[in-house]
Amino acid sequence: MKYLLLTVAAAGMFVLSSQTAHAQGNYEIQVYGADTVPPHSTMVELHSNYTADGQKRFIDGVDPTNHAEHETVEITQGINGWSEVGFYIFTSEQSGTGVQWVGDHIRPRVRVPDSWRWPVGVSVSTEVGYQRALFSPDTWTWEIRPIVDKTLGRWYFAVNPALERTWHGPDVNLGIGFSPAAKFSYDFTRQISGGLEYYADYGSITNIASLHNQQQQFFPAIDLNVSPKWEINFGVGIGPTAATDHWIIKGIVGRRFDWGRNKGQ
Amino acid sequence: MASASALLPRPSGAAAWPQATSPNSLSSPINPPDFTIEIGELEWELSPKKKIRTSAYDGQIPGRLLRVTEGNAVTIEILNKLDRPEIVHWHGQWIPSDVDGAMEEGSPMIPAGGTTRVTFTPKPSGLHWYHTHTAAHRDLKLGLYSGQFGMLLVEGRDHPGNYDQEQFLVLHDWEPYFVNSDDGSQMVNYAAATINGRMLGHADPIQVKAGQRVLFHVLNASATEPHWLSLPGHQFQVIALDGRPVPTRANVDILRLGPAERISAIVIMNTPGVYILGEARGAFRDVGMGTIVEYANSVGKPQSVPEIRLRWDYGQFGDSSPSSYKPDVTVPLIFTSHFEGHGALARWRINGKSFPETDPVILHEGFRHRLVFNNPSTDDHPVHLHRHAFELVSIRGAATSGIRKDVVIVEAGSTVEADLVADNPGNTLFHCHQQDHMDAGFMALFRYV
Repeated sequence: MKYLLLTVAAAGMFVLSSQTAHAQGNYEIQVYGADTVPPHSTMVELHSNYTADGQKRFIDGVDPTNHAEHETVEITQGINGWSEVGFYIFTSEQSGTGVQWVGDHIRPRVRVPDSWRWPVGVSVSTEVGYQRALFSPDTWTWEIRPIVDKTLGRWYFAVNPALERTWHGPDVNLGIGFSPAAKFSYDFTRQISGGLEYYADYGSITNIASLHNQQQQFFPAIDLNVSPKWEINFGVGIGPTAATDHWIIKGIVGRRFDWGRNKGQ
Repeated sequence: MASASALLPRPSGAAAWPQATSPNSLSSPINPPDFTIEIGELEWELSPKKKIRTSAYDGQIPGRLLRVTEGNAVTIEILNKLDRPEIVHWHGQWIPSDVDGAMEEGSPMIPAGGTTRVTFTPKPSGLHWYHTHTAAHRDLKLGLYSGQFGMLLVEGRDHPGNYDQEQFLVLHDWEPYFVNSDDGSQMVNYAAATINGRMLGHADPIQVKAGQRVLFHVLNASATEPHWLSLPGHQFQVIALDGRPVPTRANVDILRLGPAERISAIVIMNTPGVYILGEARGAFRDVGMGTIVEYANSVGKPQSVPEIRLRWDYGQFGDSSPSSYKPDVTVPLIFTSHFEGHGALARWRINGKSFPETDPVILHEGFRHRLVFNNPSTDDHPVHLHRHAFELVSIRGAATSGIRKDVVIVEAGSTVEADLVADNPGNTLFHCHQQDHMDAGFMALFRYV
């Protein structure tokens, strides 16, 4: 299923920050589509993100992001026709520090089955995880991410109005943060789709940060649909606000394994 | 020249096609028809927990089994109680274009609320069927997504084989919806499936006795899905494909039927027990495609088929020697798709063009035409030729002969050759029997000169 391959893994930059705490984000930059991985299948993805122009100073004990290379392995297992569980391993590499383990997250997800014939795709994921204080002062975080998407002919639209909560760290008292993401793309050919992805962190939902302190990123991105088994995404991100890394290059390579169950179907 | 109607796009049943006139003047009691078919809406119970609203024939799913005799003319009155034009196609019958039941050939549609009669002489014998031939496009309540189908059994002089009882099984898929597919375009998936209109466990069991020979007549009336049928512990001796006797009655563990294909097969009941006769793939059984076969004096939980290899080869039912006939004309037919977006159905083409722009295939009466079905696409296609049967000549390069069909699955990336002797003049429709493919241009008209 094509969009299982394009957008199934996905989403956001974990706990990008708040108004007061600085964190390294940009580990897994993708907008979720509503589909889940099919039952008995596994999707393995490698997210590679390089910050070409980012934070150059240590802030609150957190490593700078400038010239950081983040590699994230994401393994998602389809449970049934409407649910999956994803697991993340985050790593970071910077000059002088080598490859560092950053943390792990787990992300169950459920969706509205196709058989309900809703006019849009809808799913909800929740993500819980730990990251080392060296990379984020908020070490335990939780996120809930509603996902709505729609494919219309050659056009694709997705929106992820995610809500985040810090369980352990300086942002515990900030309440719920709002970190929406969205995407639209156009199918130029069967194999090549191109579009724009948007990621943001507005800070606390009850106390929206000033534009200066918001994180805003725009990624012109392409998806290559070269095979049902492979997912390839590439983009270059621009961060126009002071609180955002200014240039990020991201790539995703994913491989689906159905363990032979679809042969002859 | 093709008729004007044949050049029009394929509507979902609107008034673009010619319609029958004098809708109510034909119901004369002086000359009663042999059969009457009423097309209407109904609520149907697939299971106690699942009801659907659809359209069907005579208030039942499938429609009544029509038994007729080869060579004896039959008159059928059709009442269309729907609020849209309809048409009934007599699938597998070698009859004139104007009664065949395809607008593209010139058969008139039955107006909304109207009545018409068709008279034809059934030929050939065997298991055939009748069904709506309207387009659906993105309205998944229309066309073969509905319940408008039934079996037509044409009794012939040839006995189909010794048997103790006959069973008729009609496969269908329900509650369709669009999903994204591996090939990048949308496809249709289903939430429910039935045999004879009932989900597994919700129909009376088929009662058999040890030692009986049961003749199963199976029709796949699904709009788009091929189906694999198995009966644990038993084999099927295939005696006919698409109603035509096969040269070699091979025994097989599993039957494959593409949309519109029919198989007649004898099962010798030699393993007492209670079984599920149903889809070999669990996902389809789980949504209802199966029925219970119960031996006399047997009780217990029905056994379903274990993991079984999905393998089918038409050639095993053919003559071992290749056809000795040389074709007079070779007709290449290449099936390709045109990408319309990940959120759309693909557009299908025959020799580079979609219907109604497809070039007509010219037939010469009495000539042997070798149809070369070349499918470089990534989808299998159950292609169907109206009003004729063709003889399979080669499948993926392997020669065969003696298998006469009107539907053949041309698997993705393969070529099938079939010989057609043009012996039934008149406009003749050729198309993929997947509803979503035929609606998306996979059609061509064969014309006699």
